[in-house]
Amino acid sequence: MNASVNETTGTPAAEQVRTTMLEFLEERTRQPVEADTDLFASGLVSSMFAMELLVHLERSFGVAVAGPDLKLDNFRTVEAMTELVLRLRGGADD
Amino acid sequence: MTDELEEPLALVTDVVGDRAGEWDRGGRLPEEEVRWLGAKGLLCAQIPPEFGGRGFSSEENGRLTAHTGRLCSSLRSLMTSQGMAAWTVERFGSGAQQGRYLSQLTSGSLTGVAFSEPAAGSDLSAISTRISAEGDTVLIEGQKVWVTGAAYADLLVVFGRYGEGAAAAVVPTDAAGVAVRPIPDPLGCRAAGHADVSFDGVRIPADSLLGGAGLPIEWLVTSALTYGRLSVAWGCVGILQACLSAAAGHAAVREQSGRRLVDHQLVARHLAELLVAEQAAVRCCEHASRCWDRGIPMATSAVLTKHFAATNAARGAASAVQVLGSAGARDGETVARAYRDAKVMEIIEGSSEISQLLLSEHAVSVWS
Ligand SMILES: Cc1cc2nc3c(=O)[nH]c(=O)nc-3n(C[C@H](O)[C@H](O)[C@H](O)COP(=O)(O)OP(=O)(O)OC[C@H]3O[C@@H](n4cnc5c(N)ncnc54)[C@H](O)[C@@H]3O)c2cc1C
Repeated sequence: MNASVNETTGTPAAEQVRTTMLEFLEERTRQPVEADTDLFASGLVSSMFAMELLVHLERSFGVAVAGPDLKLDNFRTVEAMTELVLRLRGGADD
Repeated sequence: MTDELEEPLALVTDVVGDRAGEWDRGGRLPEEEVRWLGAKGLLCAQIPPEFGGRGFSSEENGRLTAHTGRLCSSLRSLMTSQGMAAWTVERFGSGAQQGRYLSQLTSGSLTGVAFSEPAAGSDLSAISTRISAEGDTVLIEGQKVWVTGAAYADLLVVFGRYGEGAAAAVVPTDAAGVAVRPIPDPLGCRAAGHADVSFDGVRIPADSLLGGAGLPIEWLVTSALTYGRLSVAWGCVGILQACLSAAAGHAAVREQSGRRLVDHQLVARHLAELLVAEQAAVRCCEHASRCWDRGIPMATSAVLTKHFAATNAARGAASAVQVLGSAGARDGETVARAYRDAKVMEIIEGSSEISQLLLSEHAVSVWS
């Protein structure tokens, strides 16, 4: 859902974020997950798991998600999380 | 024990001395000394040094928490609350908010965390306190109950409804419209300053609202609760250690029917089971804390650890009272305090039943 595609989401950096998060989600939920799966609507991510997802994302990519970025839509899909990480890192820098 | 922990543990030992029983009976901690421990960074020791904190790992803080819990569960409860508030600010606060609030929490200010309401206990989705942004202020309206430490607190982290979701705000207890009413004679942790708090048209600056405003309530409270559960679990390790020490000490010298109590097998079994409970609780806590320190997901581990530690502390404290007999049957005595304090650990931060529900969901998701 609502994952707007921009020029950064096709880069190797984006691919790495996407793969890492998909692997984490599939391991934890034991369900197939796509980059555009709505994680909340599908019930895959419980509230307890949600914070773990956030911590995993921060730890894996060395970013801190704070203030206005702490909103549901940024975590709704792997695609949205990928965009968030790339933006917090200052674009496709690596 | 690492050298880094030696000094903080000694400071807590010195402050408590042999006064925990007296504080329990009087229902009050010596506030100045508690603030002094706060100013040493010991009430929320995981706060990074840049904010005046000790920068302890979860495991180091756990050892400090267990040590404190062994001496006085009321003081340990304040530590749990202060740590939960600090972690919530660290997790959801902006850089400016972290700077402002965390430095207060490491320099003698005291705090509490307010989730529960008259109609919202186990079910926090029933929270009705309203937090709303109005221009450059935030308005808070509602009622909280059983806020640990509120009787001493300068600041409260208050959770409430916000738009379609929820939010947390940091509210000074001296703001107009805040009324704190201490709860007399709680069953356990009697000196921890529990109070009901009402917020009647309380208006505070907009930058008192922490980040994440609008997230679902469960998202917002899970961080604080995960910290709190781990802290309570370490506190229960302390309760078990106090019980083990009192029961083993007593059973090794008290004689009945011509033998030491420990030489009666039915008594010896109590000691064995206490030892098992204490050791297993320590291992659970270490595991969860190490996961926390490495950033490994541990929200479920924290529930499991709290549930295990609290039920074992309650059972262990009951056995310890049994082993001491009349010697443990007076208020203020170590095991009598432990008995009451451990019981309330089965109610807070997710009661035993709520923990079981969460753990059973996890069991089905992993094992079915
Ligand atoms: C010493 C102490 C300190 C506290 N400190 C704080 C604090 O600092 N901040 C704060 O906000 N609150 C605090 N509380 C409140 C505490 O969080 C609540 O008491 C707790 O969440 C339980 O809510 P309740 O008391 O309303 O019990 P209820 O929710 O009414 O539950 C009563 C019983 O029913 C069971 N139950 C409820 N729902 C279910 C269910 N769905 N399935 C199965 N069983 C269920 C419970 O497990 C419990 O055994 C404190 C309480 C105590 C006693």
